[in-house]
Amino acid sequence: MEITVDRSDGVAIAVVPIDELDASNVGEFKRDITPLLQSETKLVLDLSQLRFIDSSGLGAMLSCLRQLSAKGGDLKLCGMSKQVRALFELVRMHRIFDIYPAREGAIHAFQAASEVQHA
Amino acid sequence: MHSKRPVKCNMPSVRVFAEDTVAGVEESIHREARYSLGKLWKDLSPRERFNAVALAVREQLIDRMLRTEERYRRSDSKRLYYLSIEFLIGQSLGNNLHNLGRIDEWREALHNLGTDLDDIQDAEPDAALGNGGLGRLAACFLDSLATLGMPGYGYGINYEYGLFKQEIDNGYQREKPDNWLSQSTPWQLARPDESCVVPVYGRIEHGVDRRGGYNPMWMDWKVLIGTPYDMLIPGYGGETVNTLRLFSARSSHDFDVEIFNIGDYFKAVEQKIASETISKVLYPSDALVAGQELRLVQEYFLVACAVRDIARRFERDHDDYRKFGEKVAIQLNDTHPALTVAELMRLLIDEKDLGWEDAWRITQATLGYTNHTLLPEALEKWSVPMLEHVLPRHLQIIFEINRRFLEQVAAAYPSDLDRRRRLSLIEESTPKQVRMASLAIVASHSVNGVSQIHSDLIQTSLAPDFFALWPEKFNNKTNGVTQRRWLLKANPRLANLISNTVGDKWITDLGHLRQLEAWAEDGAFQSEFRNAKQSNKETLARIIQDSSNVKVDPHSLFDIQAKRIHAYKRQLLNLLRIVHEYLSLIEDGKEPAVPRTYIFAGKSAPGYWLARQVIKLIHSVARVINNDRIASRWMKVAFVPDYRVSLAEKIIPAADVSEQISTAGSEASGTGNMKFALNGALTVGTPDGANIEIGEAVGAENIFLFGLKAGEVRTIREEKSYRPGDHCDRDPRIARAVASFRSNLFCVDEPELFTWTSQTLLDENDPFLHLADLAAYIEVQERVATVFNNPKQWSRAAILNVARMGPFSSDRAIREYARDIWHIEPA
Repeated sequence: MEITVDRSDGVAIAVVPIDELDASNVGEFKRDITPLLQSETKLVLDLSQLRFIDSSGLGAMLSCLRQLSAKGGDLKLCGMSKQVRALFELVRMHRIFDIYPAREGAIHAFQAASEVQHA
Repeated sequence: MHSKRPVKCNMPSVRVFAEDTVAGVEESIHREARYSLGKLWKDLSPRERFNAVALAVREQLIDRMLRTEERYRRSDSKRLYYLSIEFLIGQSLGNNLHNLGRIDEWREALHNLGTDLDDIQDAEPDAALGNGGLGRLAACFLDSLATLGMPGYGYGINYEYGLFKQEIDNGYQREKPDNWLSQSTPWQLARPDESCVVPVYGRIEHGVDRRGGYNPMWMDWKVLIGTPYDMLIPGYGGETVNTLRLFSARSSHDFDVEIFNIGDYFKAVEQKIASETISKVLYPSDALVAGQELRLVQEYFLVACAVRDIARRFERDHDDYRKFGEKVAIQLNDTHPALTVAELMRLLIDEKDLGWEDAWRITQATLGYTNHTLLPEALEKWSVPMLEHVLPRHLQIIFEINRRFLEQVAAAYPSDLDRRRRLSLIEESTPKQVRMASLAIVASHSVNGVSQIHSDLIQTSLAPDFFALWPEKFNNKTNGVTQRRWLLKANPRLANLISNTVGDKWITDLGHLRQLEAWAEDGAFQSEFRNAKQSNKETLARIIQDSSNVKVDPHSLFDIQAKRIHAYKRQLLNLLRIVHEYLSLIEDGKEPAVPRTYIFAGKSAPGYWLARQVIKLIHSVARVINNDRIASRWMKVAFVPDYRVSLAEKIIPAADVSEQISTAGSEASGTGNMKFALNGALTVGTPDGANIEIGEAVGAENIFLFGLKAGEVRTIREEKSYRPGDHCDRDPRIARAVASFRSNLFCVDEPELFTWTSQTLLDENDPFLHLADLAAYIEVQERVATVFNNPKQWSRAAILNVARMGPFSSDRAIREYARDIWHIEPA
């Protein structure tokens, strides 16, 4: 899948370009997101195109978070539809991710965290 | 001679639509035939004609349903959600037309279209989404909720296959699938846009959240999709139309694309089929569901879909879950939906971020639990390993509920370890099991039985430790039946007679039947009452002839036992006294006091060996008696196959005698007993379930109660003092009847076919104590015959039964639930 990446103030924003993330395409997602996980430390996944995510998709999200955390980075999510948000809540994953309605909020949160670190 | 007064119509004011006129009805039927079915009316098959008519009726229901929903939202009414694994609806067309109050216009319109409403109704398949009493109660409750204008919704499963169709082959039950949805049903409105995702299976990943707190995550689940289908439930008068929402299971995709892409088409389709199996079939009652994973998934599927839907409705107008219990009441119809406890807790804690104490308070405020059985084998338990496999997060929550609960118990009874063991939600068996009734009791603010004796037995026998902890939770709500279906629709002859005599307020207030007491001894009224009964008996006689090929005399006493076939309901006891009557006649030359037709109807669970044998025995006894030249002048035995709601509507109005003879303490309530009495049958019954309250209502002289009381049964069981052999030794009538089954009298072609009866009847551990009640049963039947031979006395008693059935309306039951448990009001 073609994951497009925008950048803003040192933050990479990747748009997940599919409407369903499930067992049928989670392998492809993992393969295509891996270079970003290796190259970036501040990553926002824009899920605004996503309409459904199953447990394998949620597992992939968790894996992304853990890979970034392991090297001192962070992952934030934005643009979730109500349905996708409900699935995160269903499995309590909304409690371990920073989730924002729009990408600006996620970028701002990274910036605010940097300012706190430098202060 | 009683005077016929003009009938005052009790129908609430109803807006008249163009479709309500005869011409309007004709036009709407033509329209549905043309634009929904794509044919002209004249070219439709009988089933298509039914569909066209039902779709035309549905139009009216939809308009009223939309208005009802608006009314509820405007008034921000508290809503009641009735969760039941079964809704035994039966046919809907006649009932809907009665409740819309326009049945005469529709009858005339159909006449103008060259057909007859009765023929159209006959083409409607029963929605057999239930086994018996529990499911039919749920259906009666929906009718009453709508009639009372209360915001009450049913939630159930849209089984593709309802309860099997019963055929009889050489006296044996054969099951045929009831694929009632095969041609779709015009009554359902699909709501795919409100489908919900239901996860099952998986594992818990123990982690920490962003604040460092414990965060169990439910991972690797499989997903089902629950698609709702609404059935519209009009109340009488048509002002209120509520909904019964039934969920069908669908897979999340047509099939797994990845599997399909690598070429394994069949595996991909298999996965889709496995998902959709969840709502495929209704489990027959008494089937061994324990240990069946599919049943557990089915129960959770109902609960998960319902709770998500309830939350969705709540969130439409509210955003503070702390007020959930003020706006929502959920009633658990038995323990099948008891997983609601864990699902609601999960929703509130995991998804809505409430703390445990808040979530628990809301859950208790919201849930009420109705117990329906005292039979130990019918109390649901699910093994801990299976629950962990299917619903790992829910098991965590159940364990936590139990831990907190047992802390309370320990505080109240510090040194009573045995009490803690008894009260624990977890049975320390191998494997460990979750006691679903205990879970429902702990998590509900109300626990009710369904007759006074049953509610008393819950407190003293089933759950005495829980009662000691929370006596305020326990209450009684005696079951009821809707008079709209079981008198107005099922027995138009009697319904018209009643309305012409005392008016028709009884249709919405059954207490008005009390006015019939004044007519109980009126000769002309008695005569018309008997005429109505006689016509119903002639109708049933034709049905018996057509379905069983038994010719019965409609002037004989119709003595009917129609209910599920089960040991505790004691069809075997009924057979013993029939055989006694027969042997008294042919061996002793003692003619019965009155000719009788003994009529049975009912299904056995497919895997219930003994009940299946009872059906065979009924047929074998019938064959011998019906073919006996002398006996058949006095007695006939008939089994009417495929008992279902629409057949019950024909059988019940034709009964002279209603057999309600369960072992005392084993029938929770019964509702058949109420339906029969409402239609003027006299009850021959044990002091069990609602029989006791029916006796109190109609008066001891108008009911034939006999046999051991529940306390006596319990004592005999506890003392192990039942000696069936002694009953045979003391009473030659009993010995002879029992011996006749052993003697091959009823199975000359298949010797020893019924030897099992001796093992059952002479077993000192027979839990249903058949022989202990037989002598009293024989004697009470002699009294029945004596009274039947006095038509005035019999008619008086029958009329008084009808007149005094007010307390057994489901309207009364729903008012009590609404007042005491749900705290909802008409909107």
